[in-house]
Amino acid sequence: MQFTQWKAELTHGALAVLVGGFAAAAAASGARAQDAPVALVGARIHTAAGPAIENGTIVFAGGVITALGADVSPPGDAEVVDVSGMVVMPGMLDNHSHIGADSRDLNEFPIRFGPQHRIRDVLSPDDAFWKGAVKGGVTTVVTGPGSGEVSSGQAIVIKTWGESIDERVVKERGGLKIAMGRKRPDQSPTTSMAVTALLRAKFIEAQEYQAKWDAWEEGGREGPAPPRDLAMEAVVRVLSGEDRIRSHVHQAHDILAIIRLSQEFDFGLTIHHSTEAYKVADDIAEAGIDVVGLPLFTRVALADEVMATGTVMNEKGVRFAFHTDDPVVGSKWQRGNAGLGIRYGMTEQDALEAVTINPAAIAGVEDRVGSLEVGKDADIVVLNGTWYEVSTLVTRVYVEGQVAYDREGEGP
Amino acid sequence: MSGATPRAFERVGGAMAGWDRGRARIGATMAAVLAMAAIHGAGAGVRAQTVALTGGLVYPISSEAVEGGTVLIVDGRIAAVGVDVDIPAGAEVVDVTGSVVMPGIIDAMSYYGVAAEDMNEVPNPLTPELRIIEAFAPFGTFGSGEAGEIRVRELLQGGVTATYIGPGDATVLGGQGAVVKTAGARFDDLIVREPAAIDITLGGKPASTYREQSRSPSTRMAVVAQLRDLLVKAREWMATSGGGDEASGAGAAPRNLGMEALARLLNGEVPARVQANATRDIRVAMELAEEFGFELVVDGGAGAHQMAEDLADRGIPVVLGPISHPYISGEEIPDPGDYGGVDERNAVWLQEAGVHVSLASFSRGFGPFGPGVAGQWLLIDASIARGHGMSEADVLRAVTLNPAEVLGVADRMGSLEVGKDADVVVFDGDPLSIRTWASRVYVDGRLVHERED
Repeated sequence: MQFTQWKAELTHGALAVLVGGFAAAAAASGARAQDAPVALVGARIHTAAGPAIENGTIVFAGGVITALGADVSPPGDAEVVDVSGMVVMPGMLDNHSHIGADSRDLNEFPIRFGPQHRIRDVLSPDDAFWKGAVKGGVTTVVTGPGSGEVSSGQAIVIKTWGESIDERVVKERGGLKIAMGRKRPDQSPTTSMAVTALLRAKFIEAQEYQAKWDAWEEGGREGPAPPRDLAMEAVVRVLSGEDRIRSHVHQAHDILAIIRLSQEFDFGLTIHHSTEAYKVADDIAEAGIDVVGLPLFTRVALADEVMATGTVMNEKGVRFAFHTDDPVVGSKWQRGNAGLGIRYGMTEQDALEAVTINPAAIAGVEDRVGSLEVGKDADIVVLNGTWYEVSTLVTRVYVEGQVAYDREGEGP
Repeated sequence: MSGATPRAFERVGGAMAGWDRGRARIGATMAAVLAMAAIHGAGAGVRAQTVALTGGLVYPISSEAVEGGTVLIVDGRIAAVGVDVDIPAGAEVVDVTGSVVMPGIIDAMSYYGVAAEDMNEVPNPLTPELRIIEAFAPFGTFGSGEAGEIRVRELLQGGVTATYIGPGDATVLGGQGAVVKTAGARFDDLIVREPAAIDITLGGKPASTYREQSRSPSTRMAVVAQLRDLLVKAREWMATSGGGDEASGAGAAPRNLGMEALARLLNGEVPARVQANATRDIRVAMELAEEFGFELVVDGGAGAHQMAEDLADRGIPVVLGPISHPYISGEEIPDPGDYGGVDERNAVWLQEAGVHVSLASFSRGFGPFGPGVAGQWLLIDASIARGHGMSEADVLRAVTLNPAEVLGVADRMGSLEVGKDADVVVFDGDPLSIRTWASRVYVDGRLVHERED
């Protein structure tokens, strides 16, 4: 662990500072974000951390939630916002998105295994889709590279609104993307078995790479350091537990293959899209793997069994989160995914958690976002009706206590 | 393989009348219909064909909602709608109290039943002679699916009872589309109208198809020039071959199936469905329609709200792509040049400007995941439009009677009116709630889908 941290500092000085000083930076950004306390009063509040609160009050200051409940009185200096008759929910998360990057930058096709690539290096604050995400109540996303290669690179956890890309980063290590299953026929590997074989070889190579560094460290750093390899460093971070694998995977046998690899090399794993997860739900439950699953709102016609993935996973005790794969579906429709989940048998609470606290926990940022609780970021969505109906509109969104979207201020 | 050749494959390029089986229309008065029902009701074999859905909240679409209403179905048609309906003896009475009864949803544009490799005849950018009906395969996924009646379960469970199908949008003029039902005893029973329109695509998609091959038309300019040239030739052909009238032209000129198809467009028998999303492409579609005097329907229309008044003034209907994901080209990641004006308030803005609006799925297979059945979610798009301020009546009309009108089949479907086909859906709640399911679906008066649970 220390070993990789040291290397990270060497690699990206500024970046390492950002990661290391993460907590302080977040607090500073929050403090700057908002001065006077704000109290939203009178709404039905879905906290995602317990039952809904009727006619509740939520107070936030300095960018974080300071009080919440039915019996809370706004502080004397608070700006009181009457939201009676409205519905309040946490800012939503989308655990699988490509938002912020030009689509031509998502896949470096000639390099079939490219864990050194970082989505962070191509994120643009001008991307039009950020606005849609905020408007839809999605305030935090895990955005990452594409699925064209066996590994396309590193994802990041980031807010959808804020001063700059740097200040919006919630967590640098958003997962290392790999894509199981068949690939383009023009370059090896093309078959599922070749993809899995390549991955196994790369994990072994990373173990050997780390062993070389360990030997050099244990030898008192005598002689020249082993040559650095940015791709191997990314894989080593996965093997050391500093990062995890986020695997694009559709077919049941590929799901089993990546679970097998995760056990063989003892790394953290989340499966994404997970089209046939319902077929191997018991294996997934036994392995304790989190599932980021379908539908992609109404974009893709899927069998009823796939549409009900969330219901099946919850029955098996598997942690489940929806995703939009933005731009396949705009992030703004993440709420619609939850609605479809309910349509296909999820409880309202389970569906709510699948767009809030579950994707937060899967991304490892549940200490800051994903539910409305005292001490967490004031990322708050106000709606004009039942939260999961698509005819309901988001009317206001706060990110770290600041108004990030207000429907009233929106032009015709 | 079936020994019988479906009629769809026997005729080539005939007029639409060939597909209208000339069914006599039932008189519009309820009395006449009820009299007929009584006569038929006497025969035991007819009993199953007389169905009374009672107690529901009825949305006829063509008129005000009726609470506790009855919809009477006799011999495949709507025989009565109202609160004081006499139910013939022997009718099957289905109590649907607490449910909503509506006409079947109509998806005004989809590629359902058309294999990806059959959608676009890429080697030729202009193929008016092609008919989608000849690629239409509604029998389910290869090697699976049920024997017997054709029932598109995925669409029926969303309450969709009819859909337009057309050639794909990778070429400029793909050919002739058709209106089909989603359930029927045999292939021919599905066909409602064919040809129903000429399908044309403007914008970046066809140009990019040929640019990739270093062929013309590789720019928007060339797309329009080639289209205009073809329409000019069609006019000339009509002038020299008896005006496109097959009877009077017999012997005067050799048959030309493409020109005959275009003559139907220029004669006003069928409209042009022109896929145009960017405002510049919608503008071109309008100019061509004016220049050649054909009836225009704008498909896609992502940027249509930016020209709403112009569309309203000219009476040009718009068939919008799905509000939730209007990138109808089928590309996973769309060309931003085609979709610069995307806004989910498009439908309500067009409606307010007086434009005739339909919502459609433009559904096609998505990679290996399945057939183009996303039309089952049309009511979700309607709900989104409702949320942005379109009235309930208007959004429901945009997925029923408006598409029926655009498709030229409003005499048979789109509303619960006496004499129309009994394509009727019972919803187990508010049709605009994401939780609501179609619990019973009738097509031509037959119960073709029932939700278990």
